[in-house]
Amino acid sequence: CGFQPAYAPGGPAEKLQGAIRVNDPGDKNGFDLVERLEERIGRPDAPRYALSYSIATNPVGIGVTTSNSINRYNLVGSIDWAVTETASGARVTGGTARSFTSYSATGSTVALISAEQDAAYRLMRILADQIVAQLIATSGRWLR
Amino acid sequence: QDAASLIADSVSINGDSVLVAEGNVEVLYQGRRLTAERIVYDKAGDSLTIDGPIVLREGEGSFILADQAALSADLENGVLTSARLVLNQQLQLAASELSRVGGRYTSLGRTVASSCQVCAGNPTPLWEIRARRVVHDQLERQIYFDSATLRFAGVPVFYVPRLRLPDPTLKRTSGLLRPSIRTTSGLGAGIKLPYFLTLGDSRDLTLTPYVTAKGGRSLDLRYREAFSFGSIEVNGARSRDELRPDDSRGYIFAQGVFILPRDFDLRFQFEEVSDSAYYYDYGMEEKDRLDSRIEITRTRRNEFIGARIINFRTLREDEDNDTLPSVIGDMVFNRRFSGGPLGGQGGLSFETHSHHRSSSADIDSALDSDEIADGRDMSRVSLGIDWRRNWVLPGGLVGATLGEARADLYRIDDDATFGGSTTRLHAAGAVELRWPWVRGSASGAQHVIEPVAQLVWSREHDDDLPNEDSALVEFDEGNLFSLNRFPGSDAVEEGRRLNLGVSWTRYDPDGWSLGATVGRVIRQDDLDQFSNASGLDGSSSDWLAAVQVSLASGLTATNRVLIDDSFEITKAEWRLDLARENYGLSSSYVRVLADASESRQDNISELRMDGRYGLTDFWTAKATGRYDFEADRLQRAGLGMEFRNECLKLDLSLSRRFASSTSVSPDTDFGLSVDLLGFGSGAEAGPSRVCRR
Amino acid sequence: ANVAFDGLRQDTSLPVQVDADGLTVNQADGTAVFSGNVTVAQGTMRLSAAEVLVEYAEGGGIERLHASGGVTLASNEDAAEAREAVYTIDSGEVVMTGDVLLSQGTSVLSGQKLVINLTSGTGSMQGRVQTVFQPGSAP
Repeated sequence: CGFQPAYAPGGPAEKLQGAIRVNDPGDKNGFDLVERLEERIGRPDAPRYALSYSIATNPVGIGVTTSNSINRYNLVGSIDWAVTETASGARVTGGTARSFTSYSATGSTVALISAEQDAAYRLMRILADQIVAQLIATSGRWLR
Repeated sequence: QDAASLIADSVSINGDSVLVAEGNVEVLYQGRRLTAERIVYDKAGDSLTIDGPIVLREGEGSFILADQAALSADLENGVLTSARLVLNQQLQLAASELSRVGGRYTSLGRTVASSCQVCAGNPTPLWEIRARRVVHDQLERQIYFDSATLRFAGVPVFYVPRLRLPDPTLKRTSGLLRPSIRTTSGLGAGIKLPYFLTLGDSRDLTLTPYVTAKGGRSLDLRYREAFSFGSIEVNGARSRDELRPDDSRGYIFAQGVFILPRDFDLRFQFEEVSDSAYYYDYGMEEKDRLDSRIEITRTRRNEFIGARIINFRTLREDEDNDTLPSVIGDMVFNRRFSGGPLGGQGGLSFETHSHHRSSSADIDSALDSDEIADGRDMSRVSLGIDWRRNWVLPGGLVGATLGEARADLYRIDDDATFGGSTTRLHAAGAVELRWPWVRGSASGAQHVIEPVAQLVWSREHDDDLPNEDSALVEFDEGNLFSLNRFPGSDAVEEGRRLNLGVSWTRYDPDGWSLGATVGRVIRQDDLDQFSNASGLDGSSSDWLAAVQVSLASGLTATNRVLIDDSFEITKAEWRLDLARENYGLSSSYVRVLADASESRQDNISELRMDGRYGLTDFWTAKATGRYDFEADRLQRAGLGMEFRNECLKLDLSLSRRFASSTSVSPDTDFGLSVDLLGFGSGAEAGPSRVCRR
Repeated sequence: ANVAFDGLRQDTSLPVQVDADGLTVNQADGTAVFSGNVTVAQGTMRLSAAEVLVEYAEGGGIERLHASGGVTLASNEDAAEAREAVYTIDSGEVVMTGDVLLSQGTSVLSGQKLVINLTSGTGSMQGRVQTVFQPGSAP
């Protein structure tokens, strides 16, 4: 049915590991994104491509009780990313990864802070996995 | 003094100094350009007598139209008759006579000023300002009106002896900003008159008096200052109103960002409010916990350093500031590095955390609704190391070996049951197998399917550490394959388990994509670590299913649900964002079960919709709604109409909030604001009407 | 529209003197062709051209001059240049055509056709006339 293992010899993503250098991060979100991307596609050794990104996140209060206190938040995030071939500078693929994670705000303030931070950490890992999925899916077209 | 050039169909000279040019005459001089039918240039008198139709252009976007004119040769001084001054191709000032003074001032006699389109069939503009005299200062870019009357559709509405308005090209000047009307059931009908004051190039102050019919007196302030190494902004207000007649109310919200040497940056935020209902009564973003903090961070490719001190003050009725961790201090140092001889990549993290409750009672009381000792203070030092290596195996399998170990040293005071020091050592290891398959069909649709299995071992403990920072556990694709799903450090996930999942994504050449992920955690034995609401309880977790659709035309819908074995929904959330040229919708739904360990007494089930729809080129309707299925009633509803054409922006909004508690009662809020476009570079103009023949 | 030529205003009844390198006379139609550095002088006016064809009236006086091959007409501080010019003596009218350039003191006019009337000292220029003038330099 036309499916083939991406990383098998001759497969489209065979040379993906270590081929892409993700740009340096500017904040904690960027740091977590680079960590997850490198977990999935390896730390760059002689990279032939560069991945640039811009991250936007926005907490939205959603669960408002009758007494008007907010007890749940959605952290909505999107990353515009692009992969360029280092040698030619040509953009080979890219897109926008979008998702959201949630956290409750009902526990103590200490629980709120760690839930808030963990929501951001998970959001970056979800968006990183979306980017890697698209890299694997389209690698046949651009990965040399 | 460069020369002026003149071009015409024909030129004749009478006497030694008079030159008469006729037919498509153009005069160009120092950036000014004048076109006319006939010009007589008197060399001796250094003057131009001009017959129209005249167009005098100066700089882009502004020009003068006239029938006749007598100007100095340098086009700077003189009088033009039946003239019209057009500024920024937007604002038109028409007068029987217009005189230019010193190349800087343009003064007009009886003037009609408007930026509205006027059609032959219907000559009265939507709004106009008629004035006995108008002076436009080209250098300061201000327009001064003498005895001005504002008319709406020809009807005089407002008279003012002297009025100063910025011309459309002016970006920043002191002066009155757009007034707006706000009527609420709590405060009554009121008006806001913002005044903007520039204090030098890098500072400004906005003062907004807000006076309401029910005796509401409020002064709102915004101060901003930019430095070469950062900026600060302070918002605040002092108010007196009938809702709390005997005390003066108000709020302060200050924030700042600074760049420190060696790539560090500092952020601070300070929040204080007089009473818990203030934000609600004055229509501001509702906050129920005040968070003031100072934070220093540095981010490098392989290193993150963060240190912060946070002070919380709660406004919630079921919480008490003395029994809540009000002062929290954290420091975190993360380092990532390559595995060296081991290969793969590793991470080191060193953290300290401490929080303090002002009460020193070591048992829990009814002062608050939690079961934590009222005065419990805690300090923690943690050291963690993790490692991961990927192996591309035959057949395209991607294996990974990963592990982490951490040591935590706790010190707890003012807590009868948990007081004292405790050390906990934890380790976890896992083997992960991924097998991504791709299909690229000729039509260009790309598919990727990736089954993942992860077998995890982690140590089991019988220490009695209280779990405070990891009480709120979520389960989504972000931690389906993580070694420890607890958000904080007080609790760590224990026992042997198998994490299974498969994700499939389809990318269509037309730009839309569809993605789905399904997963589950199967534990060797149920160590009763998680609460029911998290979906991770039991020997095998709820099913996690997440689906996302995103269309190139601006629609993105993301849905995530946790379903238990009896097909009961434990948690369901979705967000939909549709952004099109003339309509848009964003909606979200959340359903979460009540859970004592998450201090949530009852379920949350809330749907939220915000939509806008362009009825015509000029009118846009907006609607917003929030429905609480648990309380089975509307929580908030709002309608809005916005009118915008080339010269007027009108915003109407009506919303009602149904929250009710001891401090807040249902409130209706009506807002109206009118913006005359063409003065100051405020909201940019919308589409202009087309004149019917 | 007319052009003032105070400088060039002058009495057209004064004698006209023509000098040139060469002269050929055509008895049949009573015309003569002066060629090579031709200069025509009348009072303070000087007209020079590469070639001038002179038409004589029955009584022997010059009736009309046809100058071509680049003509310059000058008097005091006014001067005009063009490709061709026709000067009819008794009407005092000079018609200059072809890239006409008229300079009067500081201001310069350029155009396609210039008609000057020496007796009234006026003239007018046609054909996308361009001129440059000095604002604010009133005496």
